[in-house]
Amino acid sequence: MNVRWLAPLVVLLIGLLAITGIFAQETAPTEEVLVTADWLEQNLENPQVRVIEVSVIPGVYERGHIPGALNFVWHTDFVDTLQRNIVSQERFQELIRAAGINDDTTVILYGDNNNWFAAWGVWIFNVYGITDVKLLDGGRVKWEADGRPLSTNATTYEPGNVTLSAANDALRALLPEVLAVVEGETPGVLVDIRGPAEYNGEIFAPEGVQELSVRAGHIPGAVNVPWGQNVREDGTFKSVEELRELYAGLGVDGTTPIVTYCRIGERAALTWFVLHKLLGYDVALYDGSWTEWGNTVGVPIVNPAGTVWGGQ
Amino acid sequence: MSEIMVGGDSHRGSTPRFGTQAILPALGFAVLIGLILGAYRLHADQGASASLSLLLGGALGVVFQRGRFCFFCILRDFIEHRNSTGLFAILAALAVGGVGYAIVFGAFLPNTTTGRLAPDAHIGPVSWVLFAAGIAFGIGMALSGACISGHLYRLGEGYSRAPFALFGSLIGFGLGFMTWQSVYVSTINQAPIVWLPSTLGYGGALALHLAVLSGIALFLLRDLPVSPARPEGRITFTGLWDRLIHQRWNPLVTGALVGGIGTIAYFRVEPLGVTSQLGSVARTVLNDAGLLADRLNGLDGFAGCATQVVKTITENGWLIGGIVIGSLAVVLLAKRFRWSALTFKGAITAWIGGILMGWGAMLALGCTVGTLLSGISAFALSGWVFAAAVLIGVWLGIKLKLVQ
Repeated sequence: MNVRWLAPLVVLLIGLLAITGIFAQETAPTEEVLVTADWLEQNLENPQVRVIEVSVIPGVYERGHIPGALNFVWHTDFVDTLQRNIVSQERFQELIRAAGINDDTTVILYGDNNNWFAAWGVWIFNVYGITDVKLLDGGRVKWEADGRPLSTNATTYEPGNVTLSAANDALRALLPEVLAVVEGETPGVLVDIRGPAEYNGEIFAPEGVQELSVRAGHIPGAVNVPWGQNVREDGTFKSVEELRELYAGLGVDGTTPIVTYCRIGERAALTWFVLHKLLGYDVALYDGSWTEWGNTVGVPIVNPAGTVWGGQ
Repeated sequence: MSEIMVGGDSHRGSTPRFGTQAILPALGFAVLIGLILGAYRLHADQGASASLSLLLGGALGVVFQRGRFCFFCILRDFIEHRNSTGLFAILAALAVGGVGYAIVFGAFLPNTTTGRLAPDAHIGPVSWVLFAAGIAFGIGMALSGACISGHLYRLGEGYSRAPFALFGSLIGFGLGFMTWQSVYVSTINQAPIVWLPSTLGYGGALALHLAVLSGIALFLLRDLPVSPARPEGRITFTGLWDRLIHQRWNPLVTGALVGGIGTIAYFRVEPLGVTSQLGSVARTVLNDAGLLADRLNGLDGFAGCATQVVKTITENGWLIGGIVIGSLAVVLLAKRFRWSALTFKGAITAWIGGILMGWGAMLALGCTVGTLLSGISAFALSGWVFAAAVLIGVWLGIKLKLVQ
């Protein structure tokens, strides 16, 4: 080979690598955690892909779901139904093996209500060490709005061989850890994803929803970013740049660990997904959320509206 | 098979009191077209479920009216006149509904051994409360002249007692909510919820379901009256029109259609029922007046004709509206619409009967449509228990001469 060509060639190669490297940095993380409806429709027959619906409203999956998708029920499959806790490692392993999930399966979750509880599902999978789990961008609403097919057929799969690892505590915040952040003992920033009326203590729960806490308001120091700010009108996530800017503007820039919470602990998983999976920050979900904090004796509370439980 | 049955007093084909002979059928067509346009509009405003509910309600109204699918009239024919004709419509509805539900269940909940119940299906707790509710409901049917679905479709015929009975049922619902709070804690909380497929599977449950229905049918055969001979001849357009609009539909056809509509309703929207909107109205009024707790003990955990505090018309509201409209349309087409004569006693008894039915339907989590028809079709023991109690209640009502 002629040596004269070598230098420009190396420069060109480095240049190409740099360019693709930059692009990869911009897009690869998104592709690793989100799939488009187009991609999913083309991969419905792919045996490496397992689609699971996690909807808030019962009966939605049964009357039509993405062909081949299985149904996980958020209030029984992802939780311990006796004590207040997430599902145990043994039971969850049993459940997802029965869903035909192997060590090399890519799991796609989707659901109604902007993927609220599908994101909760992603969190549970991640807690137990299964990270090849993605959300369908836009969830069920966009799939339907696009006019894509639904099926009512029940599908069963050969049992899988996936093995879970012990729960990753770094993804989960328990009350003492949140208290330590509030009291300044450990660094961190709290994100409250509920509506402003709940955050300000005007109401105890959204309209029509059972009041489950005896105190109103929010955890001291928490910033209020209602979950809806994460998504566009069609239900898809805003771009990584928009999201980074949105949260940076409120002091949530990933330089300190983040804790997200909501009312009963599930919706906050959507913001956990945005901050951890899309933006790559260090984020834990406080699944005890306001129904634990607002009922706990002696923890500090900020209640701008001053609403008193049971009346003045 | 047409006019040999007794009961259903607005059904005598009397001449209409207003309008000319041509106006009523024209009005009937207008009502039908209005129903379809309304469904079209509803699809844009509230989505497919609301629209389909209105259409299914309309279809039910037509079938109920043309097939005289009135639980009280059918039971009365049997108890008073030993005529089992109408009961075959109910049996056919349950048989077809059972087959339909089994098919839908196979898709909704493929594995019956998980301890879960099929979503939304009307599978309720079985206790003495359900039985007492059924008896009260049956007596209320006898007193008021129809069950709640019967009053809805007969309202379209001009049955003047229907509004009193339906208004009474709202009050009955209110009383039912108040009873519920205590009986839930004392009884319903521990009452078993028996769903046959969880032990027998869908195949076994369906086989048992059809066997029981066949046994009942065999037993009822002897009370079938002699059918009139049908003259030979080809069916002409006028003949077809006559059979469709003027002659009573065959009970087996009627029942099969009801069972089919019930299956479609469960598959696409929710199981058939006609009391959820009525109960929700009662609950909302009481709630706004501060007379009822925001939360009713355990109620929101049961599938059935569930009630909630609502400010809008639910899918169930569109369904019951459709029943009245569908019935009205075919009655107008047949030139049969006429307000029945109303006496003071007739109005008061309808009202009291309505209160009993509302109370019973609240505690039973549904009525003859929601708990009996949709429940038995879903292989729920609660449906059978309620059916037996309603039969006893109607029998008592007739024997005690409560029928007006």
